[in-house]
Amino acid sequence: MRDKVVYLIIGIVASVLFWIFRVELYEALYTVNGFSDQMYNTGAYGSVAAITIGTAWGIAAIYYYLINSVKFDRWYHWLAMLGVTCVITPIICYISVSQSLEGFDYSTAEFTFEIYNILFTALTFVIASFSMRWWSSNCRHTPIPQ
Amino acid sequence: MKLFIFAIGGTGSRVLKSMIMLCAAGVRPVDANGRPLQDVEIVPIIIDPHKSNADLKRTERLLSAYSTIREKLYGKNANANGFFATKISSLKEVVSSSQVPLDDSFIFNLAAVENYKFRDFISYNTMNEPNQALTSLLFADYQLENKMSIGFVGSPNIGSVALNGIKDSNEFKAFANVFADGDRIFFISSIFGGTGAAGFPIIVKNIRQAKNIDAKNKAYLQKAPIGGLTVLPYFSLMESDDKEDKRIDNADFVVKTQSALEYYNNTLTGDGKNAVNAIFYLGDHGHNAPYAYDPGDKRDQHDPAHLIEMVGAMAPFKFLSMSDSELTDLATGEPLPTKAFEYGLDQDTDFVDFSAFGQETRSVIYRPLVKLHLLYIFLRTGLNGMIGQGFTEDVPKITREFTGTQFYRVLTQQFFDSYIEWLTEMLHNRRHVTLFNEGEMDMNKAIHNVLTKKGFFGSKKVDNDTFKAEMNRLSRDNNTYGSNPELKLMDLFYTAAEKIITDRYNNLN
Repeated sequence: MRDKVVYLIIGIVASVLFWIFRVELYEALYTVNGFSDQMYNTGAYGSVAAITIGTAWGIAAIYYYLINSVKFDRWYHWLAMLGVTCVITPIICYISVSQSLEGFDYSTAEFTFEIYNILFTALTFVIASFSMRWWSSNCRHTPIPQ
Repeated sequence: MKLFIFAIGGTGSRVLKSMIMLCAAGVRPVDANGRPLQDVEIVPIIIDPHKSNADLKRTERLLSAYSTIREKLYGKNANANGFFATKISSLKEVVSSSQVPLDDSFIFNLAAVENYKFRDFISYNTMNEPNQALTSLLFADYQLENKMSIGFVGSPNIGSVALNGIKDSNEFKAFANVFADGDRIFFISSIFGGTGAAGFPIIVKNIRQAKNIDAKNKAYLQKAPIGGLTVLPYFSLMESDDKEDKRIDNADFVVKTQSALEYYNNTLTGDGKNAVNAIFYLGDHGHNAPYAYDPGDKRDQHDPAHLIEMVGAMAPFKFLSMSDSELTDLATGEPLPTKAFEYGLDQDTDFVDFSAFGQETRSVIYRPLVKLHLLYIFLRTGLNGMIGQGFTEDVPKITREFTGTQFYRVLTQQFFDSYIEWLTEMLHNRRHVTLFNEGEMDMNKAIHNVLTKKGFFGSKKVDNDTFKAEMNRLSRDNNTYGSNPELKLMDLFYTAAEKIITDRYNNLN
C-alpha cells in the first residue's frame, strides 16, 4: 500500500514539475523565433501544459476507474487509450493556442509544436497510468503487471 | 473430533464417493446453530474384501485426489472454509505411533479373508462329519466354494463368519488405539447384500465389546457415539446370462432386508437398545434401474452413482451435527438408545433437480454444489485465458506453469473427471438426478431450472468475465495467501461465487 502511495506522489510531483518548468521544457524541445515569444507572452505554454496534464490524467482515470473492465484490460487496450490521448490532447491544445495567438499566423509552427507536444502527452499519460492504476480492480496490471 | 467412517461393501464405497463430492463442494458439518464445527477430521475406513471392485477403486482414487488437493490448500490444518474444507485422513495418517504396521490406504486390509475360498477359511475339510453336515445346512455349495476375493456375493451368512476376525487385525487395533474421547463412529452399509449387511453389526459388536481387546482407549470405544446409514434396496439386478447362476437374486433383496432388519432390531436398534445411537434408513424401492448382473466375478461391479448415495452421504454430516447430549447420557457417559431417521424427497418425481429436495437438504447442498459446478466450468473454459491478467498477476501469481502442477492436474483431470462421471451417472440412473444441465458450459444455463435474475437491460449475465471481475476485486490488496497460489485461486473463486450466486441467480430458497 505504501509503495502505491509513493508512486502516486511521484506522479503528482512529476506533473507539478512539468507545470513549473513548462516553458523551459517546451522551448528545449521546440523553439521558433516569434512563435515561442508569443507563446510565452500570452501564457499559452501554461494552458497547453494544463490541457496536456489534465487530459492525460483524465483519460487515464477514465480508463482505470470508469471503464475498468475485464474486457478492456490488455496492454493493447491501454495502448489504444494512449493513442486516443495523443490525438485528443494536441487537437484541444491546437484550438487553445490558436485562440491565444489570434491575429498571428503561426499555423505551421502551431502544428509542429503540437506534434512535439505529443511526446509530453504520452509521457504524462504513462506517468498518470503508473501513478493511479494500483487501485483499479480490473486494470491494475495494465499495461504491464505490477 | 474425529469421525471414523466404516464404509462397508459396494454401497459403502459408493456413498463415500458421494460424500467426497459434497466435501469437495464445501459441505461441512455444522452445529445446532448452523455454525461449522471446528477441528473435525473424517477418517474413512473402507471394508470390502472385493478389492477389484471398480466402485471401491474409484472411491479410493477419489479419496487420494481429495487428499492431494486438500493438503496443498490447507496443509494439515483441520479447520478451513471453502472447497475441500473438511479434512479427510487415512487411518495411517491419524495413527501417531508406528507400532502397528499399516498400509497407507483408506482400505482395510482383509488379507486374512480375501485370500481364501470360504470352504478353506472355515477349514471345512478338516471338520468332522457332523460339523460338515451342519455347515452344509447353513451354507449352500456355491457359498462354500466362494472365493472371498470377490466379496461375499450377497451372502450375509458368509460375511458374518468371515468378518468376525476383524477385531484381530492391525487396522482394528490401530483404530482402537487412536480412538479418543469425543470421537465418533459412523457406518455406511447396505442391508440387502452380503458384506455390508453382515459387517455393520459385527463391527459394532466388536466396538461395544472392546473391553476384550488390547487397546489403550477401549473405555472410550465401548461408549463411543455410533451412527449408521443402512441402505435398503435401491437398485435391482438384471438376470444373469447364465440361467444357472442364481447367486444373487433380486427376489431375495426384500426378504434379506426383512431378516436383517429383524436382526438389527433385536441386537442393535430395537427398543431400549443402545449399541447404535443414531440410525439412518434410506431406500428407493420401485424407482430403480436394473444394473448388470455381477456377483463380483463378471464385470468388477462398476455400478452407476445413484440419488440414494448422494442423500446417504448427508447422513454422516447430520450425525456430526447432533450434540453429545443427543447421543450420550452425559451423567453416566453411557450411549443413549437409538434414534432412527428416515428421508423423503419434497417431490416424488423421477426427475430430481434441486427443487425436488426439501428445504433442509437444499440449504445444505444447493450453494456448495452450484459453486463446485461453476468452478468446474471456470477451470475448463476460463482460467487459461486469464493467466497473465488481473488477479492471476497478484502475488502469489498464477502463472502458465501453475496449470502444469500436480495440484492443478489432479483437480482438473482426476477430480473433475470423476465429478462429471458422478453427475452423468446419477442423471442416467433412475431416479434421474438433473442438478445441472448435461454438457452445458454456459453459466447462465448450467443449473437445471435455475435462471439468472432479470436486470434493467434483460437477464443478468454470468460468465467467466463475471468471475474474473469479482476475483480481481477480491484479490486487490489481499495479502492472505502467502505463497500459496492454489489457495488463492480456490478461495477467491469460492468467495466470488457466493456473491455472484446471491446477486445474479434466481436461487431456490
